[in-house]
Amino acid sequence: MARTVAVPKDQQLTSRNWFGKASAGLILGYGLALSLSGLFAWFGPGGYGGPVKVQFNMWMMSPIWALVLSFCFFFRDGLRAWLWLGGANILAFGLLFAGRAVLA
Amino acid sequence: MRTDVVKMYKDVHTWVGIVSGLCLFIAFYAGALTMFETAVQGWASPPPNLPAAVSVEDTPKLIAATIAAHPEVAKEYEINLDVGPQAPARMTWHVDGPSGKRGDEIHFASALTPGGQLVVARQDETPVAQWIDVLHQQVGLPFDHEIAMPIMGAISLLYAIALVSGVIAFLPSLTKDLFALRIGRNLKRMWLDVHNVLGVFSLPFHVIMALTAVVFAFHDQFYDTQNAALYGGKIDAIWAEGRPKTQKHPPGAPVLTPAQMIQRIDEQAPGFRLLRIGYATNPKGQVQARLQGEDARYGMRGPTFGLATADAVSGDLIQSEYLPGHQVGWAAAVTGFFTLHFGSFGGPAVRWGYFALGLAGAFLFYSGNLLWIESRRKRMAKRNPTAVVQSRSTQVLGALTIGVALGSVAGVSATLAAAKWLPGRAEDLMAAHMWVYYAVFLSCVTWAFLRGAARAAPELLWACAAATLLVPLSSLLGVLGVVGWVHPESLIVDLTALAGVAAFALMARLTARRLAEGPTDSVWSAATPEPAVAG
Repeated sequence: MARTVAVPKDQQLTSRNWFGKASAGLILGYGLALSLSGLFAWFGPGGYGGPVKVQFNMWMMSPIWALVLSFCFFFRDGLRAWLWLGGANILAFGLLFAGRAVLA
Repeated sequence: MRTDVVKMYKDVHTWVGIVSGLCLFIAFYAGALTMFETAVQGWASPPPNLPAAVSVEDTPKLIAATIAAHPEVAKEYEINLDVGPQAPARMTWHVDGPSGKRGDEIHFASALTPGGQLVVARQDETPVAQWIDVLHQQVGLPFDHEIAMPIMGAISLLYAIALVSGVIAFLPSLTKDLFALRIGRNLKRMWLDVHNVLGVFSLPFHVIMALTAVVFAFHDQFYDTQNAALYGGKIDAIWAEGRPKTQKHPPGAPVLTPAQMIQRIDEQAPGFRLLRIGYATNPKGQVQARLQGEDARYGMRGPTFGLATADAVSGDLIQSEYLPGHQVGWAAAVTGFFTLHFGSFGGPAVRWGYFALGLAGAFLFYSGNLLWIESRRKRMAKRNPTAVVQSRSTQVLGALTIGVALGSVAGVSATLAAAKWLPGRAEDLMAAHMWVYYAVFLSCVTWAFLRGAARAAPELLWACAAATLLVPLSSLLGVLGVVGWVHPESLIVDLTALAGVAAFALMARLTARRLAEGPTDSVWSAATPEPAVAG
């Protein structure tokens, strides 16, 4: 019984173009960690929760950053990684700043 | 699962593993030893140069006598409630060292003679346990903290990628291979089975270590960028909200004695066993009692203790966000992260468990490197079936793996043993421990390159056994009065070291056998021609 399946050659993923994908994961993954932890900080459970929740918000950075960096290899190439993750950053930061403006 | 995805993540796993594996080996080996920081500290501490500690009930006399002789101590001093080899004095305090920097303080301790005479002595802690902890934190790098931490953070990120990629690469054969440990002629198969089974079953431990280590490396950067992007630069104001509640006592109000404080804390937090009370006067003239204690029923914020602050006059708890069992909400969650990294919950059983997981982790990285070397050999053999010579890259990585891994093991043992020899012979103990470690470590790495991985492996394993034997040997010489000292409480350290000696000797013998009997084109064969650097 085959446990793996093959896809057409032109759609196959490869580690050869790792640099574009990994750099997007590293840089934009950090941006995503920052913006998502911000959404959590202000609009997540407990809302603004004082000095102890601030520590928890900081801890959120690590798993988000590490997950994006680990899974960014699923993008077919570096350009797609930069565009998708860039778009995700714009969306998350947009929501954060818009939400903060509404709240203020 | 798509074939190309598995292949891609196998490549990713290989490369992040090769780059980070050796640093992670040192971090895990040294980290496993930090589980017994207190015991190691006790083993390495010289006998006290003071009379025996007074009882807790008589401590107020000691405090009064010390402050009468040294009024400046009144502002800040500590009372130790857990007197033992690692901390023999009841009352301690410190003054700034010559550089004024943190970690450079000069420590003093005081005691009373049976006749009630005050004795004060300088009493610096032996630095070896802390030195091993720093080696762990800086993944073996001899750089300044500011330089080593970002590198450690990068290694931790690679480690996180290695975990995800390793799981993806192993997923397709998971059901087939998970419970298979094929011991037999195909040694690479066996090593791979061991690597996989260790990796999968200790995955939760490794996920915790990777994610917490990323935070330990980058928390300043995380806070700074979050402050700018999320909190409008007002994070200092947020921190100020977390300070202990203010107290209002008339200046000079009498503070509770340690015995009274123990009783007051026991009323408010039963089960929290106080280890240390730090009396400190804040700028407003109010005295706070900074409490350290332990409670094995709960996770603890520090590696060996939980924390709280009490009003030193009334004994009321004024900050209990880090008090084991009294934490709520976010504080409990954050302490959970620290606790899971430190293994500071559940008492000695969990510490031994973490010790085993740490050593297993070190073995995981070691076996990963060996697998890379073996698969490279197979690929080379396919490309050029007549060749029996190892390529230079496998020779270099083979020597580096053996030299760094076994060199760090031997170095740690040697520098620990040196703790009984250095006092009185070295001016700067911290620096002396560093020199001992790196001298042994670099000698082992050099030896591995000069001899080649194959011949060096059993030889360096014997070196590990010998270096580790120095630990109980130094204690034995302490019994005979030749050098150093010996604390009966610390016998467990000597016994554990002896178990290590036996393990290294066994590994040395097994490796030597493989060397003689294994395939000649392996990097582990003694028939390997001349080593990497000679060519």
